[in-house]
Amino acid sequence: MKELMGIFRLMLHQKRDIVLSILFGVLAGITAVGLFAASGFLISKAALLPPIQTLAVLIALQKISSLTRAVSRYAERYYSHRATFTILSDLRTTFYKRLEPLAPGIFAKYRSGDLLARIVGDVESLQNTFLRVVYPPIILVLVFLCTIFFVSFFSLSVALVLVFGLFLTGFIIPGWFAYREQRFARTVRARRGELSTEVTELFQGYRDLKIYQQLGNKETELNEVAARYVAEERRNGLHAVSNLALNTLATLVISWLVLGLGAYLVADGQLDGVFLALLVMTSLTVFENAAPMAILPGFFEDSRHAARRLDDVVTDEVIPTYPPFELGAAPTLTATDVTFSFPGEVRPVLRDVSVTFPRGSKTAIVGASGSGKSTLLQLLLRMYPVDGITIDGVRGEEIDPEALWRQTNVVLQQNHFFYGTIRENLQLAHEEATDEAMELALRQVDLTFSLTDKVLEKGENLSGGEKQRLALARIFLREAPLYLLDEPTSSVDALTEQMILRQLFVRATDATVLLVSHRLAGLEQMDQIVVMEQGQVIEVGTYDELMNRQGAFYALKQVEQSVFTPDQLAY
Amino acid sequence: MNPLKGIISIPRTIMLQLMLAAVLMGIAVIGQSYLIVIIVDRIFLQGDAFAAIVPLLGVLLLMLMLRVAVTYWNGRLGTVLAARVKQDIRQALVAKYTTSSVEVMSQGQSGQKVSVLLDAVDEMDSYYSQYLPKVIQTSIVPLMVLIAAFSYDWITGLVMMITAPFIPLFYIVIGIMTQKRADTQLEKMTAFSGTFLDTLQGITTLKLFGRAKAQQDVIERSSLDFRDATLTVLKLAFLSSLMLEFISMLSMGMIALEVSLRLILFQSITFVPAFLMLVLAPEYYLALKEMGAAFHTGRGSVAAAKQIASELTQDDRGVTFGSVDLPTATPPRIELKDVDFTYQDERFALTDVTLRIEPYQKIALIGRSGAGKSTVLQLLAGLADPKNGEVLLNGQPRAQITETSWFGQLSYISQHPYLYAGTLADNIAIGELREATRTDIERAATAAGLKELIASLPDGLDTGIGEGGRGLSGGEKQRVALARAFLKRPNVILFDEPTTGLDVKTEHLLQQAIEELGRTATVITVAHRLHTIEQSDNIVILEAGRIVDQGTHEALLARDSEYARMRAVQRGEETR
Repeated sequence: MKELMGIFRLMLHQKRDIVLSILFGVLAGITAVGLFAASGFLISKAALLPPIQTLAVLIALQKISSLTRAVSRYAERYYSHRATFTILSDLRTTFYKRLEPLAPGIFAKYRSGDLLARIVGDVESLQNTFLRVVYPPIILVLVFLCTIFFVSFFSLSVALVLVFGLFLTGFIIPGWFAYREQRFARTVRARRGELSTEVTELFQGYRDLKIYQQLGNKETELNEVAARYVAEERRNGLHAVSNLALNTLATLVISWLVLGLGAYLVADGQLDGVFLALLVMTSLTVFENAAPMAILPGFFEDSRHAARRLDDVVTDEVIPTYPPFELGAAPTLTATDVTFSFPGEVRPVLRDVSVTFPRGSKTAIVGASGSGKSTLLQLLLRMYPVDGITIDGVRGEEIDPEALWRQTNVVLQQNHFFYGTIRENLQLAHEEATDEAMELALRQVDLTFSLTDKVLEKGENLSGGEKQRLALARIFLREAPLYLLDEPTSSVDALTEQMILRQLFVRATDATVLLVSHRLAGLEQMDQIVVMEQGQVIEVGTYDELMNRQGAFYALKQVEQSVFTPDQLAY
Repeated sequence: MNPLKGIISIPRTIMLQLMLAAVLMGIAVIGQSYLIVIIVDRIFLQGDAFAAIVPLLGVLLLMLMLRVAVTYWNGRLGTVLAARVKQDIRQALVAKYTTSSVEVMSQGQSGQKVSVLLDAVDEMDSYYSQYLPKVIQTSIVPLMVLIAAFSYDWITGLVMMITAPFIPLFYIVIGIMTQKRADTQLEKMTAFSGTFLDTLQGITTLKLFGRAKAQQDVIERSSLDFRDATLTVLKLAFLSSLMLEFISMLSMGMIALEVSLRLILFQSITFVPAFLMLVLAPEYYLALKEMGAAFHTGRGSVAAAKQIASELTQDDRGVTFGSVDLPTATPPRIELKDVDFTYQDERFALTDVTLRIEPYQKIALIGRSGAGKSTVLQLLAGLADPKNGEVLLNGQPRAQITETSWFGQLSYISQHPYLYAGTLADNIAIGELREATRTDIERAATAAGLKELIASLPDGLDTGIGEGGRGLSGGEKQRVALARAFLKRPNVILFDEPTTGLDVKTEHLLQQAIEELGRTATVITVAHRLHTIEQSDNIVILEAGRIVDQGTHEALLARDSEYARMRAVQRGEETR
């Protein structure tokens, strides 16, 4: 229950809608009971041949209650769903508020790509908490209380039977199933995860499986895992079916008791026989409100699980406060004995890295893929906490990352583009940028987009090279004393690359620049080149120094020169 | 309604059981109502003693038990059926996929196929567990109730019969009226609901530009817009159930009015049938309303069913193999004869490719990306069949050769070898169909230069590596692929040489390893290294799906060839 406190608080913000939906919900519930009670009474009364006026009144009453019931049901649905979706909106913003200060460092903890999709899904399943978990018991109790009050005028003992029925169908049975549900739901999720892994392996490793003639084995394995998942789901489904059946049994037995007891009381002369049908019809109807209780345990468990997972993501993280941090002119960056590994991985990504990037210098970082170049850049950017970084002599731990980012021009390997227009995506860098400035930036990176061109989610309508150039155009819109660029032009052809980098270095004449580069050509002009291998810095020097030393850089250069790629040849 | 009809069959016994359950349900519903009415009548009008109705109460309890039992049975049948069908569909899909050609499997839609196997199949659950049992039940129970009503009081029966069609009719009319509006809202809804994920995915970018805080308002605004769009659709749905409620209420009210008037004014009916009608009417209209709701559930699964059906019926030319074993002592002579090939989406065609590869030859395929190098490799590997022309092994069509004897002597080393979740040893041993000994695996690992890596891992060769080889660098994965080949000692090696990004050590290692393995094998390389190209016995130059030239390095340089031109440009760029 503790996990759900947050969402309960959010519900309180929607008091008006919630009160209205409860009001109409209860009204719909009691008018339904009234309607059926009235028809039971009507027919009994009719059997006694009353004056026609009595009948007319009863019939009119019946019509009014059926009208009220239908309209209330409509209003109830409208307000309860409105509340639900407003709560969803609040859930998103409150969660975002908590996550935002922790990003992007938090993503190191969860390197799996599905974290975000999971968050979205969990937030969405929490929206059900109100409608499926909190709401049904409230309605159930209120409608029952009214009904019991009404019935107590006719017979106290029948009212007592209904009280017992309320506890049984409203709390005892759902509670018991909720308790058992916990375990089931967990196993189903685990089994689905296993199946998902198997399926992904089948597709991604298809060619290797085929050649090594392992497809048959994989098929058998996959079918077994699928069968385990389905078996678990089946168990879960049967569990739900028995829950439903038990609930139905309880409601029917209670109505049976009402009938038996009522019959006894009538026969005994303690109750007027004309009310017997009324009581039976009342009992049969009032339990309709207990039906949503059967599916409550499942939703309750889902909500709890989602809330717990969301809490896990954002709690235990202290957001430190920092003194103001100004870069001023081009800074000096140093790394001293930096060792870093991502949580949950055995081997460190960086080992004892010590390197200095002097004020205003232009440095290229090169090395094989997986050698730790990007990680070094990200650590210098304070995206993940690590010891041993300083900027202008200030220890990394004391630097406000957000202040640093505000004053740095960064292009990462993965740059996000939002659903919207080119203009909106450029304005991200500089809100007041004029159209002229933006158009110039686009020209500087050799893009021919118009500012009103559409950009789809994640920029999926842009090619790799276009995305890289658009990311560069963004930083061309702002001045900064520090540039950190991670393979910004790897998907751009060699000629355009040189054109763009030339412009970049003109803009960054006075700035400190770090450029992770996938190509070794064109590095002659750099002040220093840092060569990395397997998480270590193995060489540092200028182009000429490194070529003369004939070490690692020279070897890499040899490899690059031996690569024959007709694509890059200008015919 | 269900596009899977004819593809996935539902066992007849289950269908019969579902129908039987529905009939029993009808009996329980009618019996329950009847007994309640009788008991009330006996006590209220006949003035019987309580003891006299005790047996009736007993029978009523039995009826209620029957109703519960049938509810359970019906639910159980649905759940069991759904589980069974889901397993059948998954097996059918997997069987289809495992016999597809690699070409179909790698059409860049593996994400979509994963979602068919997981999500679409999951979505079929409600069709079989809820919709089908409900449809059967709601088409049988109201009918039985109607018959019961007719046999006791034909006037009420008539009212029921006349009002019944209005409910499904109303569903259809409202459905048609609202569909279009719902569709336009749906588009808006997708756009709005995407904003949250879009923002989360871009949070790093937002933070780098200091814009993350402002984005909160965007999330709020789009969520509220989403709410309003959704409510517009929901209001239509609520309105339709309001109307249905009115119809059923009106009908029930009519019945109440009609029986009570007849009871009092005309005295043409007695209490028992009158009360019975009153009790049966709600059961009747409830069942009809449920039928409408069930159709709603069913419609949700139709899209998923369509997806599954289109995957299952997609026609795909797999690769044909035969029954003759290929000798394994020496590499076969491999020939492509007038081979044409087109991808299904026809974006690319290989035309008229003829190539002859003698045992132990070293072949280099070169050309620009998209020229067809990888496709030639696929055809040579037996991962795709040509559209026209033939692939010959030792002069025999490959379609006559057994799959085992061909793949048994082949290694394919790609740029991105796939590693499975499992130990490093398991990943290396995938190359060996016979049980590989520990020593063999260790020897292969050493030959592939994995010794250092193994020493650095906590459990050495038995260290588990994640799905897709998570945690290993590109160079290390490449070495695992080499170790697989060293264990297998193939007669034919197909090698897609990496372009860039490897460390110097792996670069050298690759060269040495291929040289070593090539002593006993034919090596066909999609080449990106001058060294590899210059050392080959035959350089094959592809352009736009055709072989434009072939020959040795010396021969090609000696004449005015495309290759000579390429090399000239390459040297030019180096000196620039």
